[in-house]
Amino acid sequence: MIMKRLLEFTGLEPERFQARWISGSEGAKFAATVQEITEQIKNLGPNTKMRDTDE
Amino acid sequence: MSEKKTPSQITAKLREECRRLLETGTVHTVIGFARGSLPDRTVPVFITNPKDVEHLTWNPFCAANLSKYLLDHRRPGGKAAIIVKGCDSRGIVRLLQDNQILRDQVHILGIPCRGQYDHRKIPGLVAGETGPPDPESAALVHPELLFEKCAYCENPTPVIYDLLLDDAVEPIAGSNGRFAEITALEEKTALEKSAYWDDHFNRCLRCYACRNACPACTCRECVFDQFDPDWVSKRNNLSENTAFHLIRAFHVAGRCVDCGECDRVCPVQIPLRLLNRKIIKDLDELFEAPTPGTDINVKPALGDFNSRDPDKFH
Repeated sequence: MIMKRLLEFTGLEPERFQARWISGSEGAKFAATVQEITEQIKNLGPNTKMRDTDE
Repeated sequence: MSEKKTPSQITAKLREECRRLLETGTVHTVIGFARGSLPDRTVPVFITNPKDVEHLTWNPFCAANLSKYLLDHRRPGGKAAIIVKGCDSRGIVRLLQDNQILRDQVHILGIPCRGQYDHRKIPGLVAGETGPPDPESAALVHPELLFEKCAYCENPTPVIYDLLLDDAVEPIAGSNGRFAEITALEEKTALEKSAYWDDHFNRCLRCYACRNACPACTCRECVFDQFDPDWVSKRNNLSENTAFHLIRAFHVAGRCVDCGECDRVCPVQIPLRLLNRKIIKDLDELFEAPTPGTDINVKPALGDFNSRDPDKFH
């Protein structure tokens, strides 16, 4: 929670960094969470922050 | 109420005490402040010979937090004496809690402090009519020249000490606005915040002065000193600088004592304390954690477990 708030403080959109507690036996929950987050990220479009290292 | 001692009186008492400590062999080294090359500057000084105590000085230009130097003066069975202000004393608590030093290896000489002048704010004044503040004046004649951190200081009097060299100073009342700057930045949009920090991180020289001055940064080998670290790089570009500053801030999360040294020593004036204070504010909101280092019996919020954790664990 502290990390997430720090990233948001430095200008990262809140949806780009999410933390969830999912146990090894919760496969369905894992799949659903990944799909949900993927959807959110696609709506945001490409990240522009911290992308200049590989150029 | 007794009269506040002048800096010269404190200096005299300090020298006398340090001479005694060195002559009796109570301590092997005194870590303190000496006059710098200009009236508004002081430098750290390390004294081992009682004859040299005349170098020691105290005035409102002793902004440096000397606590980190204790790491270079640890000797089994021996003690180093160190001169600390209130904020610096939280750094001593940090080192003690992190087991970097032992309590019986350090003799703490505390000086209650009513604020330190920011020498960066002085030049404009010298050119003006009022002239620079007098280092020997007992009264703070120019409160506007103090460091920002001094305006809402929580611990003007050291929180831990063996000897206090002056009467205790009470914290300034009404320091509720201490997170005003953070709140103002939080309320901006992600794009604005990003632009604000990009502007600052772009200037970073990666000199690591912020890390070196920090009493919470005590790893034997820092990841940023490794030849070819896996997850971060030494490259000086915006991405890597951003990564460095986020890692630095988070590495000291819950342990940063808010002495403001990172901010003060930064040669390109990156407002590093904002990052640390953002974390201190969140720890206060989420865990009701006091400023780390205030109380040696309170464990760092992120180094402790408690069933009232605000995380949802969903």
